[in-house]
Amino acid sequence: MAESTRFVILSLEGDKYAIPLSSVVEITALQGLERDRNLTEIFEGKTEFRGKRLPVVNIKKLLRVEGLPGRILLVLKGAKGMFGLLVDAVAEILETDKKAVPFPSGVMNPTMAYFRGILRHGDALVLLLNADGLL
Amino acid sequence: MTGRYLLFLLCGQLFGARLEGALEILPWRSARKVPLAYTYVEGLIDYRGILYPLFSLAQRLGLKPQGPIGFAAQGAPVQADLQSIILLEGKKAPFGITVDSIVKMIQADEVAPPPVKDPSAGDGFIRGLLYDDNKEIVLLDFERLFFHGG
Repeated sequence: MAESTRFVILSLEGDKYAIPLSSVVEITALQGLERDRNLTEIFEGKTEFRGKRLPVVNIKKLLRVEGLPGRILLVLKGAKGMFGLLVDAVAEILETDKKAVPFPSGVMNPTMAYFRGILRHGDALVLLLNADGLL
Repeated sequence: MTGRYLLFLLCGQLFGARLEGALEILPWRSARKVPLAYTYVEGLIDYRGILYPLFSLAQRLGLKPQGPIGFAAQGAPVQADLQSIILLEGKKAPFGITVDSIVKMIQADEVAPPPVKDPSAGDGFIRGLLYDDNKEIVLLDFERLFFHGG
């Protein structure tokens, strides 16, 4: 039997996305956000986490999804270090031994690094985010 | 080249799709939207264990819905939930397109497209023509339309 992997299932404006649990350091409510004019517009600011100031990404701006920034903070560790990700809600942890399916060709620019593939979860298709490619 | 073709209507124009393999016609269903996808991508649909990208052919071709005679339709697009979905076997991968309605399936001989590329004829996306009941039917090159970027 294939080794199972766990994913955090999160939602943005009602649509579900996944991120490997191994990339998630903590899930918490956003508390205190300090604006930083030096950051680009995908960032909402910086927040304090375990004594460090982490940049916080508004993933809706990154993916061009309309809506207000989420209030749930996912602290992620990516290839470029730790950062925060604002999402609307965290629904559940999905444990599956099925591998993510690659995006069919013709859907988006193949150099797009924000996604790693698609997971089937019940009847739903869940887009798997790439924690290393979000920054 | 003789082959089987599915004829369909889109924005009042008759088009044909050469059937290379399996064909499925589905009533409209919502697709899983994909952020940052190309503008003509409606999303993804999961049908019988296969993931299909669903393309809006009208949007890709820049077609507008038909309005009353003598007037260009403004604003209101074709009501999406009245459209049909055609799932086709492409040369590279299976894919789906949204069309206004299915007309029929025919066996016919394909005619080469006009030798001079007409800039208004969809940037070389026409792969051939068919004639049925004295009507000219445009056959589109779906590979060029949807898989140009690899």
